[in-house]
Amino acid sequence: MSEIKQDAAATNGNMAEEKDWAAAKAAFENLKSNKPRPPKPQYAVTIAVSSRALFNMVAERKIFQEDGMETYVAHQQEHESEPLKEGVAFPFVKALMNVNARLRKLYPDSEELFDIVLMTNNHAQVGVRLINSINHYDLSIERFCMTGGQSPIGYLKAYMTNLYLSTDSEKVTRAIDEGIAAATMFTQSTDTELSSTQLRVAFDGDAVLFSDESEVIVKQHGLDSFFEHEKQFENKPLAQGPLKCFLEALGKLQRKFYAKNERLDCPIRTYLVTARSAASSGARVLKTLRSWGLEIDEALFLAGAPKGPLLQKIRPHIFFDDQMFHIEGAKELGTISAHVPYGIGQKYHKGKLIEQPPKKE
Amino acid sequence: MVSTVQNTDVRQKDADAVVVAVTSDAVFDPGADEGDAFRVGLAFPLLQALQRVNERLLEQNPSESLLFDIILITTSSQRQQQSSQIMRSTRHHGLEVGRFCFSSEDNFLESLLENNVQLFLSTDRNETSQASQRGVLSALLDQRAASSPSEQLRVLFCGDTVVQPNAAGPMSTIQHDAQSFPAQLGKMRQRFGMLDSPLVIILMVSQGGRDSCSSALQVLRSCGVGVDEAYCLAGAPQSPILSLLHPHFLLSDDFGELEE
Repeated sequence: MSEIKQDAAATNGNMAEEKDWAAAKAAFENLKSNKPRPPKPQYAVTIAVSSRALFNMVAERKIFQEDGMETYVAHQQEHESEPLKEGVAFPFVKALMNVNARLRKLYPDSEELFDIVLMTNNHAQVGVRLINSINHYDLSIERFCMTGGQSPIGYLKAYMTNLYLSTDSEKVTRAIDEGIAAATMFTQSTDTELSSTQLRVAFDGDAVLFSDESEVIVKQHGLDSFFEHEKQFENKPLAQGPLKCFLEALGKLQRKFYAKNERLDCPIRTYLVTARSAASSGARVLKTLRSWGLEIDEALFLAGAPKGPLLQKIRPHIFFDDQMFHIEGAKELGTISAHVPYGIGQKYHKGKLIEQPPKKE
Repeated sequence: MVSTVQNTDVRQKDADAVVVAVTSDAVFDPGADEGDAFRVGLAFPLLQALQRVNERLLEQNPSESLLFDIILITTSSQRQQQSSQIMRSTRHHGLEVGRFCFSSEDNFLESLLENNVQLFLSTDRNETSQASQRGVLSALLDQRAASSPSEQLRVLFCGDTVVQPNAAGPMSTIQHDAQSFPAQLGKMRQRFGMLDSPLVIILMVSQGGRDSCSSALQVLRSCGVGVDEAYCLAGAPQSPILSLLHPHFLLSDDFGELEE
């Protein structure tokens, strides 16, 4: 995913773009408000969030499904001044804003910040209510993509997205297929109090940070083969998975705090929550991370035990996993979970092969 | 001497129609010559899209008078003298051009004003600049128009200009002029539903952020223009997004130039 930004950096010499950026920067700085200026996308970690992930639009969605598009848009317009309620990605977005505030204090001239984009296929008429709601909560969102019914997937690259969060699994799957880190967000069943000073991100290992190559072995040849294989190839790094670049981006921002002696008070903390066991298959994972030059703050090896109770203690703002089984377990115990529809785990449920209906076009 | 000729192949439009003038160098490829008829130029998909909007409007209401009235205008003495070839080529390609204005570089502006042109489209920056200075809303057509769809007219409003128009520019009057092109466009858009409209209105805010986007949406709404798609960039690079949007033309005060 860092390839997108590298390409952009290569065309950085583009004069028209630089002119535009300078003009936008000046315009923003001339505003009378104290609003923080959005960062230069080529250097930022861009998180694209859908409207239904950012806000709770369950009631509105029902109107759309039952009464159709026209009624839905009219309803949104009628209630334009009523702010929408917070959605499942809301705590994550607030936590990102907090990290930005800390980064700006330490590095006032840096563009290496989180950049949040609202990425929705809603009509621009609904956009007014979305913007009003963003104003109400004073969220740092200055970039929007409202495609008026078309798929927003094509625009993810155009906005240099590093991570896409949506409640629509079809869109998320398409994004992953396009090589963009993405996950489908699920609302937790109970509320958990989350840290307001530290962004906590938890990742599953296989098929999230790493490829699904080892999971394939488990599914096709069983656990014993898996253990043998992992031991044998302990020193061979696993291939990367869809969320590896996002972890990398987080690590880059973390190091900015370490450089200013703020390691103990770092507002970003990362966790690996894996079903692997430390004794047998865990080493390969740690060695892979090391070979990539990546750090993870806490690596938790569950050796097959359920992830829910452990996540309850960690209280991440988001937990990424490729298997719905783990997502469901986490949700039930109050963790905000995000499903990464990648790899062989999509064809199985609780160890059994799912009958796949023929793919719709 | 300007001569205005009606195209008898095409049903003439009422006074309510929205008059759009397109230059012959945009409609026909200035370089080529297909024997008797000129080859179509980069405005061809645009013309097809304008025609498509008219067709759909008439489908809904056969006595609809708010239609696009297309004028093909020449802006050089060279083209002015190729009138028969131009008319022949127009018929050959079945273009729904209502009138021809055979003017030269010296008098095309008068033609625009006399014919109450509400939107002038040209591939020549000099021409759009002159027309804009005379108060005629203009937009520059470029290669991008050639790859825009022929089944849907996509009109892009430059949001930064909507919020802060140049004092003397055509965009500054849109809020007070119910007959302005944007207002008429908005009325046409309302004839169709949210989905499957042959006319789509797009807003792009290049420099401003959330507040500019919100203001632009409200300003346009107050002119009766309902925006379908909105892209707010706050300084992010425009060209990747423009290359996905496929607008036929861009309305702003900078004589409607699309970013290079």
